[in-house]
Amino acid sequence: GAAMQRFLGSLLCLWALRLPAGTGAAARGLDVASYRERVRAMFYHAYEHYLESAFPYDELRPLTCDGQDTWGSFSLTLIDALDTLLILGNVSEFQRVVNVLQEGVDFDIDVNASVFETNIRVVGGLLSAHLLSRKAGVEVEAGWPCSGPLLRMAEEAARKLLPAFQTPTGMPYGTVNLLHGVNPGETPVTCTAGIGTFIVEFATLSHLTGDPVFEDVARKALKALWKNRSDIGLVGNHIDVITAKWVAQDAGIGAGVDSYFEYLVKGAILLQDKELMSMFLEYNKAIKNYTKFDDWYLWVQMYKGTVSMPVFQSLEAYWPGLQSLIGDVDNAMRTFLNYYTVWKQFGGLPEFYNIPQGYTVDKREGYPLRPELIESAMYLYRATRDPTLLELGRDAVESIEKISKVDCGFATIKDLRDHRLDNRMESFFLAETVKYLYLLFDPDNFIHNDGSDFDVVVTPYGECVLDAGGYIFNTEAHPIDPAALHCCRKRREEQWEVEDLMREFYSRRKTKKFTLKRPPDHGEGENAKDLKDASSEKAGEKRNSKKSSHSLLSCPSQSFNSKLAVLGQVFLDNT
Amino acid sequence: SCSRAKDVTMPAKLPVNFFSTRSPVIDLFRGQLDYAEQLRQDSEIVLYFFYAPWCGQSIAAREEIEHVASRLSDQVLFVAVNCWWNQGKCRKQKHFFYFPVIHLYHRSFGPIEYKGPMSAVYIEKFVRRVMTPLLYISTRSKLLDFLSNYEPGVVGFFEFNASPQPPGYLTFFTSALHSLKKDYLGTIRFGVVTDKRVAEEISLVHSGSVYLHRHANTSLIYPKDIMNFTAENICKWALENREMLIRWLRPHGGKSLLLNNELKKGPALLIFIPYNPLAEIHPLLDEITKVALEYHKCNKSQAAEPDLQHLGDSDSPAFDSSVTDAHLKFSQTFPIAKYPCCNTVVLPQWHSISRTHNVCELCVNQTLGVKPNKVHVPHCNFLEIEAALDSFYLQEHTFFQVISNTIECSNFLSFYSPFSYYTACCRTVNRHFLSFISSEKTIFQTPKVAFSSHGKKDNTQFSIPHIEDRNCFIPDLNISSMNITGLSCRTNKTLNLYLLDSNLFWIYAERLGASKSTHLKEFAAIVDLKEEVHYVLDQNQSLVGPSLENFIKNFSVLYSPLKRHLVDDPSVHFQEQHVVTEVTTNTFHETVFLSAKNVLLLYYAQWCGFCASLNHIFIQLARLLPPDTFTVARIDVTRNDLPWEFMTDRLPTILFFPHQRKDQSVKFPEDFSVNLPNLLKFILHHSSLSSSEPCTKECLHKESVLQQGHISHLEREIQKLRSEISALHQVHDQLEAQLSEARREEQRLQQQKHTLEKQHKTLQLHSEQLQATYDQKNQELLEMAEKLQELADASENLLKENALLRILVASKGGKLRSKDEIEEPLQSEQTLSEDNDISLPTATGASEEKRIDNIDTIETEHSSGNRTE
Repeated sequence: GAAMQRFLGSLLCLWALRLPAGTGAAARGLDVASYRERVRAMFYHAYEHYLESAFPYDELRPLTCDGQDTWGSFSLTLIDALDTLLILGNVSEFQRVVNVLQEGVDFDIDVNASVFETNIRVVGGLLSAHLLSRKAGVEVEAGWPCSGPLLRMAEEAARKLLPAFQTPTGMPYGTVNLLHGVNPGETPVTCTAGIGTFIVEFATLSHLTGDPVFEDVARKALKALWKNRSDIGLVGNHIDVITAKWVAQDAGIGAGVDSYFEYLVKGAILLQDKELMSMFLEYNKAIKNYTKFDDWYLWVQMYKGTVSMPVFQSLEAYWPGLQSLIGDVDNAMRTFLNYYTVWKQFGGLPEFYNIPQGYTVDKREGYPLRPELIESAMYLYRATRDPTLLELGRDAVESIEKISKVDCGFATIKDLRDHRLDNRMESFFLAETVKYLYLLFDPDNFIHNDGSDFDVVVTPYGECVLDAGGYIFNTEAHPIDPAALHCCRKRREEQWEVEDLMREFYSRRKTKKFTLKRPPDHGEGENAKDLKDASSEKAGEKRNSKKSSHSLLSCPSQSFNSKLAVLGQVFLDNT
Repeated sequence: SCSRAKDVTMPAKLPVNFFSTRSPVIDLFRGQLDYAEQLRQDSEIVLYFFYAPWCGQSIAAREEIEHVASRLSDQVLFVAVNCWWNQGKCRKQKHFFYFPVIHLYHRSFGPIEYKGPMSAVYIEKFVRRVMTPLLYISTRSKLLDFLSNYEPGVVGFFEFNASPQPPGYLTFFTSALHSLKKDYLGTIRFGVVTDKRVAEEISLVHSGSVYLHRHANTSLIYPKDIMNFTAENICKWALENREMLIRWLRPHGGKSLLLNNELKKGPALLIFIPYNPLAEIHPLLDEITKVALEYHKCNKSQAAEPDLQHLGDSDSPAFDSSVTDAHLKFSQTFPIAKYPCCNTVVLPQWHSISRTHNVCELCVNQTLGVKPNKVHVPHCNFLEIEAALDSFYLQEHTFFQVISNTIECSNFLSFYSPFSYYTACCRTVNRHFLSFISSEKTIFQTPKVAFSSHGKKDNTQFSIPHIEDRNCFIPDLNISSMNITGLSCRTNKTLNLYLLDSNLFWIYAERLGASKSTHLKEFAAIVDLKEEVHYVLDQNQSLVGPSLENFIKNFSVLYSPLKRHLVDDPSVHFQEQHVVTEVTTNTFHETVFLSAKNVLLLYYAQWCGFCASLNHIFIQLARLLPPDTFTVARIDVTRNDLPWEFMTDRLPTILFFPHQRKDQSVKFPEDFSVNLPNLLKFILHHSSLSSSEPCTKECLHKESVLQQGHISHLEREIQKLRSEISALHQVHDQLEAQLSEARREEQRLQQQKHTLEKQHKTLQLHSEQLQATYDQKNQELLEMAEKLQELADASENLLKENALLRILVASKGGKLRSKDEIEEPLQSEQTLSEDNDISLPTATGASEEKRIDNIDTIETEHSSGNRTE
């Protein structure tokens, strides 16, 4: 207790020290268009050098001007950067790359690949490229969006990952050989995110292709994690997928766990799934109770809740963006402002930042041009239009250009203390960092479509409304159109019921009395049975959620004081 | 790829110039802090700009600093230091959490950190304050000017004729600098008076006294006997005791609770004006501060009057040419530090004056000059007021002629003192407001004041018709006759007043509803955080003193005529072509209530993930429902405020307003999933389509309309089906093509298979044949082996025979030798050749096996073989 108090005391002191200077330039307005063009130039500088010097390797090595395979041998940077091309409006290059990928990429290779990375980068990248291909002017086949060459590629890649899920717990191995399946003697220890980061891509695959196997394995893995959470409602960092024993028991929101929480929320939104949301809300409660201090999130022991590491990790910076998606904008902004101070101190976010000391942690001083803080800024800017968020964008552009730009691309910052560079440019730089930066400076991008624009596509199964906004970004920033999922599955199920109902609108006397029937459990059709299994153990929680009398799938309205909560101003609740 | 390249790293680029070489700013881009320290000795005032070259804020501030430097470079040394480069001294010695950091030095005093806005004018103003922390006040008029400012002023009196450096002066000077460290916005101004006569104006007699001027409260003199006379103490004392009648809010941009803390104190009036800190005069600001001073002038209204006159002059057209004149005039009419006592008298209704006026402010004034001890004047005593009241009633006839509803003042002499007179200012105050304030006033009440004793019920009786009246008239006019003076003390809805520079913080105004199109960035709003409402001063009115006063008054009255301001999203234009109608605050009523359709309204926010993922469902719904009887609409509640009764606390929320029963809206149940069938069922259940009444003509008409609608719906459906069919055809064709391709492929494969089978068969045949020959050969081989064996046996027999023969021959030879010695050599030659012939078959047997048929032929064969050889 005393130690904790001392620690909190030092936190407070820290805050007294930090008065960032001035607002002047920001208040007068940033030249958004010019920053947008600078981001575009950044993209092409990196992209063209990749094509020139590194393709068909996975990644560009910017200091030596050559390429290397990192996560497999898929021309990863090209797959990852594909939808960024479209967001930047480059339709012709998008079309060219689609052809290159169809011809050039082969998954029948004897390569040990990370299940997690292959899913988010390759499967996710191909899925979003498939769904965006019509918008990009690619001639699609008649069954699109429920069929297509890129979709088949995504499916093929995903099938290569399925052997990893053949474990007693349903939680997947971390690595799989694309040709031979799981290697004998493969370690059964997988990080939490490596288990819970499949539902967005796999459910999309299942909805589009009609094969439920992907969604099923993803859900099974999620439920296994849920079942193995600690008594105080936290999950650790690494687990043995055979025995379901926690190997690393640090609980937090950052490295090793991050996208698990992200996918609970995004899965809930994408699939209108209350169960995933209720899981997240329970975790959220525990996270707030045990890990949140002064708007920072620390690392705690998952069973006892005691602080184990008072650090902020670069990867944690996605959290404010996630909070804004579910309407917790006030808290999101407060945490974001904390993180932003770290950026201001170094010109980037170190992998680990010791909060009480106010400095980087030994051996974790690097900044591989990660996107998370910028991602949060983009989401929050949608919600608040706060110029502070554009300021972060400005700072990011200036920093990255000044520090990491080299002749052949953009190099990872190896050490934020002296800005030494490393010979790597991760594929997420083009897939995420540049994309979110561009979207931050381009409020009229089609990705921000609020539903005022949409496309009607005639499919052999009927007419679909697509591209009506609400894109869900997977954790590698590949957007998925929720309407496409609906188009390929739900719409077909509902079609005749809707037709019957429409007849009623034109009959003067109602033949049947239509009332809303309560759907079986949470209304997720075929999954209802599974859901009951999982939710039986938390019957108490369910009662609670009923008591709160609002749908889990909703956001709170913003409070009155949010009108004034810009330019760094935060308001405390009296409650 | 070679593995050595993995270890390749590159040190950071070497620092380069951050400022241009022509800039007046000295740029120590290698972080030479020691050199920077040396430079300090060259100039009285030095500004250090510590930057990091990658930092966006540093880059943005660079221009501003250059601008300031170009204006002040002759008096101030500007030094920029790169405090990031890790080889530089600065980085090694200083540890900053943010950039840029600006430090100022006044000779050896420092560092004073500048924490204000990164804008050239503000920085320049601050630098100038550091250059001259003390304002030299030489004359009376300058003193008055200094004190009349709304920002707190501290005046020190030091006589320089006695000694070149009067005791305490340096401390006072340092405290002025010191205050800039604490109070980085520089709200407290420091002045110094050297002239005894000027000092007397503020009751300062002794050299070394320090005086803090306050408008609403009594001014203070630094208590030397209680506190040590140190720079820190003076500064602290001034900060603690200063008066904040109206405050500038300047959020620094980082995480801050400034607004939270200020707005939680109670309702706040936020006034946005463009402000240039360097400007000599601020007419608008003067006008606003005039209102602020008035507002806070509790029990001292008289003192305010001349003060206000002075300020009021500032916006007269002649102002520019007569600034000094105005000061002079002011100095004559403004008795500084005069504290009259005033009290409000509420006139009973029956009183003759009450026809036109019902409230009088009665003050006891001392016209004589400043008395030495006035600084600590206590409240005026009761007797004085009572006497004044008596006089007032005696003089009341003077008010009879007045039939105007403006404030009327009248002075009458006191009977008790030749130096005093009384002032009565009377005006009409709204009845209920009157009753409201009268209950607050307890200091002084005449028994004849009727309202003060009235209970609440009576009040409402009086007030209700007033409210309704007021709704018919422009409320401002009705209340404008009320005086704002001291209102802050008379109401329990006291406002805190704040100023914001609209050059820097206009965004707050915009978010409170300031129109974005306006060129004039002036705006005023009252924000009540607790009640979650805000009111806005009509933007068509210019922001001037009277309009502000009315705004405050309207807020203060019990039944305020102010309406909660609803912020509207101006970017949305009513677009018919949108399938889903976009509703805003302004179009809400029209779209939902005035339209003759059933309306389904979705409350959403763009940022809420659960809303955005439903877009396609609502678009589909809107495309399905018959457009002439249904509207599908939505409203972004983050950008559009709605009346309380239509607010919602969760998003998305779906409301249905049935046609003809718009007041009976129903909410889509939250525990149902939002999908097309559910929405349709919900609408069907609540819409007023069904009617069981007998069919009249009208009904028939309706029926036909309905059927017409149905037909068009079906037509649309058919259209859709057609396109679906064509899509199906397309797929069909595609499949057909694929199928025929596949068939061809199959055929080809079949053929291939046949040929392969054939080949297979021949091969099999061949292999069988081969097998047979193999077997046969094997058989033959075996036979051959057997025969060879036999042959071998035979040859053995032959050998034996041969041996026998030899023996025989030998024995015969022996017998013959004796008989015939001539025949002997010939016989031995023959036996030798026979030996050779017998050993041959084993050596060459393999090639000649086939031809050996029986032992009998051996000898003939051998002979033939021998022949071929």
